[in-house]
Amino acid sequence: MEEIQKTEVTTNPETEDVIELTKQSVEACDEQQKQQAQEDGEKRDEDEDELRKLLLSDIGELPLIPPSATQINFVSYFITDFTKSGHDQYIYRHANGLCVIGLAPTHIAFKDEGGITNVDFNVGKSDRSVLKVSGKRKKNALRSEPNTALCKVSTAKDTYIVRCCVKGSLLEVNERLIMQPELLNSSADREGYIAIIMPTRPADWTKNKESLITLEEYKEKKEKVQSAETLEPCML
Amino acid sequence: MSDETVPAAGDSSVLVNGLVSHGDSKTRRVYETARSLHSGAVKDLLSLGVCERCIFRLIAVEAFDSDLSSVSTSTLHSWLESGDDETGSSESNCSRICIVCLGILQFVFSDAAEKKLVKSDTSSDYVARVTDLVKQDLHDFDSFGLEVSVPSTIMDNERAVLSYLKEKYSTEGWLQRDKISVKDALKVLILDPLKASLGAQSDSSSFHIRLTYSEASDEALGVSKTTHESKRRKTDAENGSNCTSENSFEKVYEPCIFSVHCNKMPIFFSGRYFKYSRNVSQSRWIIDDERMGEASVEEILGGNILPACLGDSYKFHAAGREDIDVRMLGSGRPFLIEVQNSRQCPSEQSLKEVEEKINNSEKKLVGVKDLKCIGSQCWAMMREGEAEKQKQYVALVWIARPLEEKDFNSISSLKELKILQKTPVRVLHRRSPLDREKIIHWMNVEKIKGHSHYFLLHLCTQAGTYIKEFVHGDLGRTTPSMGSILGCRAEIIQLDVTDVKMGD
Repeated sequence: MEEIQKTEVTTNPETEDVIELTKQSVEACDEQQKQQAQEDGEKRDEDEDELRKLLLSDIGELPLIPPSATQINFVSYFITDFTKSGHDQYIYRHANGLCVIGLAPTHIAFKDEGGITNVDFNVGKSDRSVLKVSGKRKKNALRSEPNTALCKVSTAKDTYIVRCCVKGSLLEVNERLIMQPELLNSSADREGYIAIIMPTRPADWTKNKESLITLEEYKEKKEKVQSAETLEPCML
Repeated sequence: MSDETVPAAGDSSVLVNGLVSHGDSKTRRVYETARSLHSGAVKDLLSLGVCERCIFRLIAVEAFDSDLSSVSTSTLHSWLESGDDETGSSESNCSRICIVCLGILQFVFSDAAEKKLVKSDTSSDYVARVTDLVKQDLHDFDSFGLEVSVPSTIMDNERAVLSYLKEKYSTEGWLQRDKISVKDALKVLILDPLKASLGAQSDSSSFHIRLTYSEASDEALGVSKTTHESKRRKTDAENGSNCTSENSFEKVYEPCIFSVHCNKMPIFFSGRYFKYSRNVSQSRWIIDDERMGEASVEEILGGNILPACLGDSYKFHAAGREDIDVRMLGSGRPFLIEVQNSRQCPSEQSLKEVEEKINNSEKKLVGVKDLKCIGSQCWAMMREGEAEKQKQYVALVWIARPLEEKDFNSISSLKELKILQKTPVRVLHRRSPLDREKIIHWMNVEKIKGHSHYFLLHLCTQAGTYIKEFVHGDLGRTTPSMGSILGCRAEIIQLDVTDVKMGD
């Protein structure tokens, strides 16, 4: 802020000058303040522009269909004809070891007319949908073996048992399937997942893996089975 | 007894026989205390092998104070001997390690670094040594706190000698007084000279000098023996038997191993950081000996601040965190760097240089601003950035169908949208399975020229919201999600944090 110069007030004509001088100084101050505010505003705009440039600069090539979150974060495994013919399931394994279990598109339940109409988690010794796993240590989780039953899925024609396929602790079942079994028909590989299992030891998973096949192997197998039905696009 | 060693009243010259200070009232007082001690007890303790200063500590009625530090060990010895010609020359007695303080109050020790025996007759030699060692550590300080650590067997040694004295001199008054510990006695002796020699004040400051005495090597054996012996002695005393004899004090007493350590309380730096790279983690991330990502914010910031402080190590604390593939832009994220044992507090200029070095580095991975030294209010500042605050983001989103006009409005009309997020699968292995309710305060859609399936989503959310899961739905475990709102599959391509509000 410019210092307002103090000049001695002597005679009238000089007073006029003084007043003029003071007015000019005050105006100069105002100007400066306005300028500062404008500069601040400009700086804000500049910052925002900088930010926009940064945000947009990073957008490189954008593919038509990007890989899905599942494809990026999980490794897909499959098991076919598990305990019974046509019982094909997927095991999506995350980098942190957790396995998401669900029905593979070639599961015979999908071949029945009308698709899946009911899902019941009350199998084996307990209702899987009421388990309450708590805490970081995952207390009260059901210890599962590959053969442990997860749920029963029913169609108009028949009922099929879905099993864990993985040895570990059962962390969660998808209870939304109880009210919305149609999720299995529309997106069995995403919203229609059946359960999440945490293998307890690395050794358990290594042993498990031996009975599973990769995505590539699964695709080959499917092609061999001359199925009349078109494959779900969500598989890709 | 020669007259030379008796300090005359008002005599201010340096006398012979080791008197290191003026022959003034202090030394006179000590001399008089020496003469007033129970001569039988003194003779007993001297022959047992208790050192001169311990004798003062244990049997003098007068308080043990800093006057004693002005008198050398050999002078003290000659004052205590008082015409006892049979005890031989002072040399041989002075060379025995005290059976109570293990040489600590005799200023005798074995140097930890040089591994040789060091003897000082006076406190000033000892203080000079300590000063040298402190100066070697290059700390910059005007005040210090003095800490002394001594072996635990000294307690046992003292107990043994006291119980011997109690038996023999049970009627004496000087036995009843509380005895100053070896630790405190050493502090009393050297604190003032040390203050003068270091040119500093003494207080409970942030800088500590620790003098550590530890028992010589085969202490394991010595300790158990001593404890066993003292236990035996105690039960014997209870039984009323008189088997405490001078034989139980016949042990080889080794001088202690001595070392000096300086430690400064941690100092803190605050600032805001930016992360421009999608391959840099927030903190050092190493799995199976392999580093995840190219670098870490923690190491870039800490690695540049640490040398400016000449510190030993650093700790990094941030107000929240972002994934390795998420950039931190906008106003930056508040952080703290805690530096352990810094030798100097960097000037504003050097902090500016650190900022410039980081901001102008070739790779431009991380940026920093407002770097400054901060005091104890730092934690309050960090707490501010936690749970209640809002965060702003920009996400690049893809949807399975083309963007329509109505979408802009249907999204921006959602204010304070409540969402329920189950613990995301990607962190479920280490976090509790919970349902977390979060709020999306506002959202805006921005078209991207030439792309009908992609758009920029600007959003402001409650702290703790998982943005990626809000966009792709996390297998339906986050509801509502971008996909459920728009009625189609949605994927998040990349994410940037644009504001971490700290509440002004």
